[in-house]
Amino acid sequence: MSWAWFHKLGSPRWFFLWTKSWALPLFCLGMVCLLLGLVWGLAFAPTDYQQGNSYRIIYIHVPAALLAQSCYLSLGIAGFVFLVWRMKMAPIFINAVAPIGAVMALMALVSGAIWGKPTWGTWWVWDARLTSVLVLFLLYMGIIAIQNTLEDIVLADKAAALISVLGLINLPIIKYSVEWWNTLHQAATFTLTEKPAMPVEMWMPLLISVIGLYLVVAGLALWRMQSYILEREHRASWVKQEVVGDGL
Amino acid sequence: MTYFSYFKAEFLVLLRRKQDVINALLFFITVIVLFPLGVSPSPIFLAPAAGGIIWCALVLAILMAIESMFKEDYNDGSLEQLVVSGLSLPLLVLLKILVLWSVIVIPLLLMLPLLSAMLYLPEGSFWVLVATLLVGSPSLFLIGAIGSALTVSLKQGAMLMLLVILPFYLPVVVFATGAIKAAQEGLPYSGLLAMLLAISLLSLVLSPVMTAISVKASVN
Amino acid sequence: MQSIVSLTISDLWIERGDRDLCKGLFFELKSGQVMRVLGENGAGKSSLLKVIAGVIAPLEGQIQYAGQDVTHDRKILQQDAIYIGHSAGIKSVLTVEENLRRYYPSASADELEAVLDNLSILDLADTPAKKLSAGQTRRVALARLWLSKKNVWLLDEPFAALDIKGIALLESHIEQHVLAGGLVMLTTHQDLHSIQSYDLVLSP
Ligand SMILES: Nc1ncnc2c1ncn2[C@@H]1O[C@H](COP(=O)(O)OP(=O)(O)O)[C@@H](O)[C@H]1O
Ligand SMILES: [Mg+2]
Repeated sequence: MSWAWFHKLGSPRWFFLWTKSWALPLFCLGMVCLLLGLVWGLAFAPTDYQQGNSYRIIYIHVPAALLAQSCYLSLGIAGFVFLVWRMKMAPIFINAVAPIGAVMALMALVSGAIWGKPTWGTWWVWDARLTSVLVLFLLYMGIIAIQNTLEDIVLADKAAALISVLGLINLPIIKYSVEWWNTLHQAATFTLTEKPAMPVEMWMPLLISVIGLYLVVAGLALWRMQSYILEREHRASWVKQEVVGDGL
Repeated sequence: MTYFSYFKAEFLVLLRRKQDVINALLFFITVIVLFPLGVSPSPIFLAPAAGGIIWCALVLAILMAIESMFKEDYNDGSLEQLVVSGLSLPLLVLLKILVLWSVIVIPLLLMLPLLSAMLYLPEGSFWVLVATLLVGSPSLFLIGAIGSALTVSLKQGAMLMLLVILPFYLPVVVFATGAIKAAQEGLPYSGLLAMLLAISLLSLVLSPVMTAISVKASVN
Repeated sequence: MQSIVSLTISDLWIERGDRDLCKGLFFELKSGQVMRVLGENGAGKSSLLKVIAGVIAPLEGQIQYAGQDVTHDRKILQQDAIYIGHSAGIKSVLTVEENLRRYYPSASADELEAVLDNLSILDLADTPAKKLSAGQTRRVALARLWLSKKNVWLLDEPFAALDIKGIALLESHIEQHVLAGGLVMLTTHQDLHSIQSYDLVLSP
């Protein structure tokens, strides 16, 4: 098997040229899916017999929470790839994706709080899932903070990669500990999203909005990565060509 | 340099800098005093919360002590010398963590009887508290060392290091306070101690290598 | 002392921040030779020594020592080399003797005393390093060169803060070392009086 693609993927130039025209279509396609899923879910999906209409927040909460976790998983993998193979694209990826992941975690938190008000009667309950997302948000903020504070770019890249890997190893332990802690204190009886046997009219729009949000995030991530590549490789001749060629 | 001469010198440095260690211990006591004053001095509140209060104070005091563990070495060129020594950097780092752990944790242990009495910790769970400290605290030092090495080049790195490292301490705090609580309620707690031990062992495997990578990235 | 060994640098490319400090650098240093690295402030002299010592990594290039490629694992070179940078790794709270014992635990008391005497810092042996002047601290750091049995010396501004006597002392020690088959690489703005040296000039 040839590893050429792996090495090419590691080359900012190749990555940039290859994915140059992808960001916008991905983003647009994702937006269409997301809007379709949301409109369907918020307006047309059947009402839940237990929770009434308030359950509909899952069409925002679930995609956001899933993306928050997926983004962190991808950061951890990128960090590992960077530490082991020193692939130049990995820190660019981490830089680009960490803030997106943080926004997703924040969206999940806010939507969870909005859902909590009619369900539990308060904006915040120390529910296992919400607490995990809160910790995830803090982990993201740590990565972003370390990247922004360390001025030496080599050090900042390594630090972000290390913390990402450490976070990835730690995330299951954190989740397990939070779940265990939650049973100890037995806070909520309802939990968001753990619903038995949803009818197809309910989960179909959910699936569509999840896919939509994945595509939107992929588009955003590509776009952010491309601008980081131009910034970091500004000394390379291909970048000058690229910028001048596009700009004039 | 040999591993032993390094170990000895590290010990000597900490003995000469005993005020730093004393400061960490004083900080620990001060944080604990905040709770009866800030929340309630009643045994009804304090007794069930004692384990949690002690562990929160512990985590903060340990973080403060670890934050600067590489600072002086970085400034005086010792860190550079470790990197070029031809010895194994992960092992050197581990020795340093070991020295710091013993110098901080042994006095903490000695203070625990008094502090847990002040917080009305039920006597039966005192030894569980000691056990959680012994098996749980190594992971705090090991994980913290990574953050300390990453932020060593910053003039004001303490807040950043706290922000980055604190979330990683959550499982340790959860399991440690859970074990103390379980003991207070007469429930089995050995599984939780095993969990803490597992986290410490995992940190022992990962941290020296990761700290060494961080040290190398920081000296330049 | 030993058979002829050599340190070979080929095609070395060092980048710092956004600048190339050197690109395509070649040289070979053999037993018995002294190399003086010259260049303006910021030309990259310290960086070059750090790269060879293994503190920072080069972008590209090979480093060979004693016939072996040590580019990726500097251990063989490090075990045979001593690197003394601007900050020399002297702990301020330890005494002069404790500092040296940290590096050379097996040095005998007589040996240590002789070296300290030679460098005229014997009466400071029990003084904490933080109470020393810059020149005295440098002498403590340099005492390692007298105690060390290592072959390759990488010295960054070793004459800085030394007085005339100190400079002469160090020069003659370097001379002895290369006569015995050692290799020395140093950065300095000083002319060396008694030593024949090769010059490597880094230009920004
Ligand atoms: N830690 C660092 N991070 C980024 N750049 C550095 C660092 N140290 C030195 N430099 C840069 O590298 C160049 C060479 O520095 P140095 O090797 O110390 O020069 P010299 O020893 O010849 O005076 C300088 O331009 C300096 O700005
Ligand atoms: Mg210099």
